[in-house]
Amino acid sequence: MKGIGIALFLSWLLSLAICDTEVAESSALEIDQDIVLPNDDDAPSSTVVDSCVLDVPYDAYSGSTVVDDQSSVKNVDENTNVEISPSIDVKEEISYPYEEKLMIKPLPNNYLLTSFSFRMDSEEFMPGKSALDYDGYGHYTVFPMAFKPMMDRTATRQLHLRFTRGFWDSESWGRLPHDGFKSGGSGVELWAIIEAESDDQAYKQWKILANSLSGLFCASINFIDTSKTTYPVKSFQPDGQLPLFDDTKKLFLVRAALANEPVCTENLTPFVKLFPTKGRSGISTLLDGHKVFDSSWHSLSIDITTECSASGETCKYQMEALVDVVMNVPNVLARNERPIPKPVAGDKLRCDLSKPFDAFQCFPLPEETKVSYSLSKIYGKQILGSNEISNHPSHVCVDATDDWTAYIKIDDTYFSTDDNCFELKSSLNHDVYLESENTSSVIRYESAPLYVSRSLTGYGQDRGGLRTVFKNPHSNPVKAVYFESLPWFMRVYLSTLKLEPGENCDGDGGISLERVMNSTYYLPAVDRARPTHLEYVITVPANTSFAISYQFDKSLLQYAEYPPDANHGFEIESAVITIIEPSEYQMRTATLLLLLSTPDFSMPYNVIILTSTVIGLIFGTLFNLIMKRVVSMQLADRVQATSGIKYKIKMLKQKLLSKVKRLTG
Amino acid sequence: METPERWVVLVCVAVRMIVSLSFPQLQQQLDKSVEFSTPFTSYRSLREGVYMLKQGFELYNGGVIHHSPLLVVLMSLIEPEFLVSLLYACLDALIAYQLACIARCFSKSITIPAWIPCLLYSLNPLALLSCVSRSSVIFTNVCISTAVLHALQGNVLVASVAIATAGYLSLYPLLLVFPLFAIFETRSSRVKAAAITSFTVAVLLTLSYTACGNNWAFLDATYGSLVRFDKLFPNLGLWWYFFAEMFDAYVPFFKAVFNIVVVSFIAPLTVRFYRQPCYAFVLCVGWITLTKPYPTLGDAGFLLGFLPLFHPLFGYLRYSALSCLLFLHAVVLSPIFYHLWVDLGSGNSNFFYAITLVYALAIASIVADLCWAMLRFEYDHGKPNYQLKVTQI
Repeated sequence: MKGIGIALFLSWLLSLAICDTEVAESSALEIDQDIVLPNDDDAPSSTVVDSCVLDVPYDAYSGSTVVDDQSSVKNVDENTNVEISPSIDVKEEISYPYEEKLMIKPLPNNYLLTSFSFRMDSEEFMPGKSALDYDGYGHYTVFPMAFKPMMDRTATRQLHLRFTRGFWDSESWGRLPHDGFKSGGSGVELWAIIEAESDDQAYKQWKILANSLSGLFCASINFIDTSKTTYPVKSFQPDGQLPLFDDTKKLFLVRAALANEPVCTENLTPFVKLFPTKGRSGISTLLDGHKVFDSSWHSLSIDITTECSASGETCKYQMEALVDVVMNVPNVLARNERPIPKPVAGDKLRCDLSKPFDAFQCFPLPEETKVSYSLSKIYGKQILGSNEISNHPSHVCVDATDDWTAYIKIDDTYFSTDDNCFELKSSLNHDVYLESENTSSVIRYESAPLYVSRSLTGYGQDRGGLRTVFKNPHSNPVKAVYFESLPWFMRVYLSTLKLEPGENCDGDGGISLERVMNSTYYLPAVDRARPTHLEYVITVPANTSFAISYQFDKSLLQYAEYPPDANHGFEIESAVITIIEPSEYQMRTATLLLLLSTPDFSMPYNVIILTSTVIGLIFGTLFNLIMKRVVSMQLADRVQATSGIKYKIKMLKQKLLSKVKRLTG
Repeated sequence: METPERWVVLVCVAVRMIVSLSFPQLQQQLDKSVEFSTPFTSYRSLREGVYMLKQGFELYNGGVIHHSPLLVVLMSLIEPEFLVSLLYACLDALIAYQLACIARCFSKSITIPAWIPCLLYSLNPLALLSCVSRSSVIFTNVCISTAVLHALQGNVLVASVAIATAGYLSLYPLLLVFPLFAIFETRSSRVKAAAITSFTVAVLLTLSYTACGNNWAFLDATYGSLVRFDKLFPNLGLWWYFFAEMFDAYVPFFKAVFNIVVVSFIAPLTVRFYRQPCYAFVLCVGWITLTKPYPTLGDAGFLLGFLPLFHPLFGYLRYSALSCLLFLHAVVLSPIFYHLWVDLGSGNSNFFYAITLVYALAIASIVADLCWAMLRFEYDHGKPNYQLKVTQI
């Protein structure tokens, strides 16, 4: 299975190499092709298509102001152009179904959310027919070549992959981006809708899919097995009707999560390489592992769906890839200044002078609310031009209040627009400059409809409890689906399920388990083969909080089943809460760290020997007692004297002696 | 029922009810302790079964339930906590009473009054706590004591049904049919007992099959995982640490070996003591307590309940002090060492493992000593001659 994944990955790499050489050849020969070639980083203005920069960069430029002493204001008009020298003539634009957007949004407390979004479509294909039968082009353009064979082979109609790490502070930052539907729990989360005859078959295809993705993203997704796979019944349901290529088959929703998977650079690099720009132009140039993963919260997501025409004859895959990063701006800027953390010099400390202040005392002031920084300070690079591959130019938007001013810097010139949205049309370097007098003034996200937190209770490594606190601060009831998948070594006692009313619960209002929780789906775990799968619909009344808890036992594992760092504990994947009413929203609890009792790993031989000895001792004792004859001591002595070993040796000695005597005598 | 026994039985029920009612938390605490509860006998998994049954979930589709289906159905009929406590107390009192009856069957050889074994069992802390913990081991124990009593009284029907039920509840007591049948005097009654036992087992299994919604899955969840030792949980037995540490490739082999060890001594003990089949029966109970995969102190308490019946043999015991000390050592230190390992983390698993070895040696020394005492008793033809030095060759 793993081999297939690696083979796919290699073939993909090979195909990339071939593609690159082809492009290089064609540009060398200067073949007049209907293609817009991506630019080389080193020569930003050498090959630019006329139409890109002949347009006015921005429609609204009235508000342009000087922001830097060195650079002059450029009131852009029709005549202001950058000199260009096109080297390839392109007869007409061809649009590829590719789109990229960047949304920058300041969050409270000097945090900054940057959301990258990339959308691409595959070429149309006819389901159930080979590419040879299809009249149209059967080639790849912007849709990543690695995905289509994999999707076809495993009959995957929808694929969702999430790499998420960090903590989203929903109490101060509000709702998750994209209403939470595009971010997973900590670690890796994967779910897919697979067309198959039976659930066994679906699982086989799922396993192939997981292994392929594992190779593609250099992640341990291949560790997904039956003991981690669930088939959700209420959560993760697809929005619309999905196409079924073969009417005799059915669709299966399969899901798994790996909570202990670290998300890192080796996952981001293949991720960026999926885009047609390969991280060399457009906004994807910003995606540098050092910066993305040096953040408070980051989420990488991939969603692929199958869209079919109304007649169902032709279909195509649509892929949406998102990267959302939350950074603490002062921290990042401070790190730029001092890569090696050092204490701030005494005279640079910001002290509250209204309080006792001298060489030894300093009460720090709250963080400065006046900031100005550019995106290149945050990400360490500038945006290298537009993506130039689709006719949708790369789009950059800043979503902030009027207290913020955003400029786009093209080379050394700053521009601004009314709606703070910029379209990158040239192949020049772009940078976004942000300035604010009052950083505490940000556009508030609507607050999350429900707060859910889950924790482990109890002490000791042999048993514990899970306690989930639901808090609805709003004045309307919230209806949600709670999904939880627990590893088999947590032996859940659902009979201990109970509800503890919170502070502002009216005691006689009768908040009971039966009232808030309904249509429970529960599939208990099977050792080493199936996780516990719990799903229920929960209604949280307005302005209430309560906790739902239950108990579990922790099983002992076999010696070899423990990971090398057994005493670190086992990560339990987060619970998923999908809110249905009043508005659709998805959220996840934090992951948990479960400590199991461990045997002594240095002892296998000792234990085998000691236990065997004790059993042998007992067995031997009883065996002797039962098998031997009971006699008196005298009789025993007599028998011993006539049949014991000593007696036999004596007899032998006598015999030998007598023989020797006879020989000699 | 004679007057002193009636009082003792009442005391037995009263003590159990008082302890259960005055310390309501004690039941849960004991149910969580490894000494009194195992995945196959714990009350909370029985409650989980009742819950599953009421919610309409499948009982044996994975999960934590390893109790027999009919037991789960029975418990689902008894809802209030008080009645459950009363049921357990009454069952335990029944065991105590039956011990008195067994003692009376041996009134010729046993000189102590019949109510003494009854009282000792009632006040035995192990039996008491096991009863309070509501371990399902008590159901098996009631069946075993019923079987042996009725076999002694010559009531083939009840004895066979009881031993079949014990086997149905926890499988290993089914091995006790060998010493039990040895108690019956005639061949015809043995044949009859065998027929009734197999018939009862068949009926119970069929009933369970219907109770589970026409599904044989319970066989695997109850007996299959017991024999295969599927649930690796610390307990007082010899199995758990051995299989936690054993190399993967040898696990099936050693599971077979351990099961063979359980079976191995049943027939030899029965054959060797065929003249004293009741004692053979108790020795077999001891052997099963020693070697079964999920033993609890409740089993040990039950075994100790039979010891007063060996009163005439006490003079022959060679290691009574050693057995007592080993046993006390294990019983006192096991909760402490388990706490050190699991809760405090200041000890490791070897602490508790060492205690399980001591416990095994304690039970073994009791069984072996009784065995020796019986051999010696036979040698003296019932007239004790403690001065005579005797050995085995």
